[in-house]
Amino acid sequence: MTRRLHAATFLLCLSALVCCSVPAPALRPVTVGAAQPGAPPQGQVPLPNKPDSLKFAVIGDNGNGERAQYEVGEQLAAWRARFPFVLVVMMGDNIYGSDRPQDFVKKFEAPYKALLDGGVKFYASLGNHDSREQRFYRLFNMDGKLYYTFKAPKEDVRFFALESTYMDPDQVKWITDELQKSGEKWKIVFFHHPLYSSAGTHGSQVKLREVLEPIFVRYNVSLVLNGHDHTYERIKPQNGIQYFVEGSSGQLRPGDLRRGSPLTAYGNDRERTFMLMEVDGDALTFNTISGSGQVIDSGVVQRRK
Amino acid sequence: MHVLLPVLALTAALPLLLQAPPVQPPPDKRSPVTSGKKSVNPNDADAAIIKDFLKRVDDYVALHKKLEGTLPPLPTQTSPQIVDQHERALAKLVQETRKAAKQGEIFTVPMQSLVRRLMRPVFAGKEGAHVRSEILDNENKAKVVLTPNARYPDEIPVSTVPPQVLQFLPKLPEELEYRFVRQNMILFDPHAHVIPDWVPQAFK
Repeated sequence: MTRRLHAATFLLCLSALVCCSVPAPALRPVTVGAAQPGAPPQGQVPLPNKPDSLKFAVIGDNGNGERAQYEVGEQLAAWRARFPFVLVVMMGDNIYGSDRPQDFVKKFEAPYKALLDGGVKFYASLGNHDSREQRFYRLFNMDGKLYYTFKAPKEDVRFFALESTYMDPDQVKWITDELQKSGEKWKIVFFHHPLYSSAGTHGSQVKLREVLEPIFVRYNVSLVLNGHDHTYERIKPQNGIQYFVEGSSGQLRPGDLRRGSPLTAYGNDRERTFMLMEVDGDALTFNTISGSGQVIDSGVVQRRK
Repeated sequence: MHVLLPVLALTAALPLLLQAPPVQPPPDKRSPVTSGKKSVNPNDADAAIIKDFLKRVDDYVALHKKLEGTLPPLPTQTSPQIVDQHERALAKLVQETRKAAKQGEIFTVPMQSLVRRLMRPVFAGKEGAHVRSEILDNENKAKVVLTPNARYPDEIPVSTVPPQVLQFLPKLPEELEYRFVRQNMILFDPHAHVIPDWVPQAFK
């Protein structure tokens, strides 16, 4: 038995070293079409892509204004032609460095122009590189608030955006109250700092986890989305909650994921990524797309009941 | 060891004394962040220092509100240009009104000492190293010279303030935040984007 475990561990480590991925058998893979770099996949469209489902995208640590951010923006636009998502949630670090008015154009409006022109709404959370006053920026839809909630336009879904660089007691009380009174089937929380991460640079924010996770568990949060580490990581479900780190939609830290981490269901620290998600009833299907347009991860999350 | 006990008792009780009523997680998952066990003597010297600090904070906030009230209200959804204009206009008013301000007027010397003392255990050990690295993750190592009421340096991201730091500090009104520039703990006025005061070398 021990020998078999060692062999399995060796194989897992080997596969992590080769392609930095550890597939999770618990998640059902989704059939995808063959993707071409720089273009949306031909043939079969991934995800269920049902007409009345909620479709949204996830980006994080994106706002550097560099070529890579623009490439991800182009991919988002290309994929939207086949998978018409209506909103994008942002994991923070929306505007790196200088955030003068012209930076909002260079680091947000220009890279996502096609989406903005198409009526896609962006909902931002703030990262440690973001000015607090971004909350007033109309296109981030924060309504002047550092933390806020909104109901999705389709399906029974409510999103909660937190400000994790400054988790004071007022905010903890706010999220507790909001989750408690939320009657939606799906409760999706997003914020910058990951409660679970296998990246070497930042990693899991353990103290923040001690504060927030009991509240998430108690009030039936099904999905938590984070950034901060410049990697993509699907965490093995923790206490019934599915966590993702999506922090490589502009920035990237190659080689930062710790190979063999017990937290990782799948990880990628070699390519920039974004996520597409679809909620249909009790199931949320996701595809993670690389900057070159390849589907690198996919699966289904069932909501907590 | 016994010398440390009053400090430990005070730090354990500060969240209860000074912050909003802490949230109670499920009983079986109670977080140490919100768990105070001992009460503190309100006549304690530290409590007096904190009371004085909060009075100074209130004075600053009253001034801030008065000055901001003279400006057109900032819409909750607007353009970066309008936000930038508002920030700079408010900063100018604060700077003009507080032009004689000196470092140490809000964070008095006794309060600076208390902050350093309260922060010491937070930055100790392995967990302290992680806290330090999260705070210093500014990706800009340029030297910064702080001046009272100066605009927060545009080239440096506003620091993260981990929960284990906030749990020991007096709660601030919405107009002010604790942040860090390098090892200095600053008071940050996010509406005006200025630094009214700071604690030099709040941690090592």
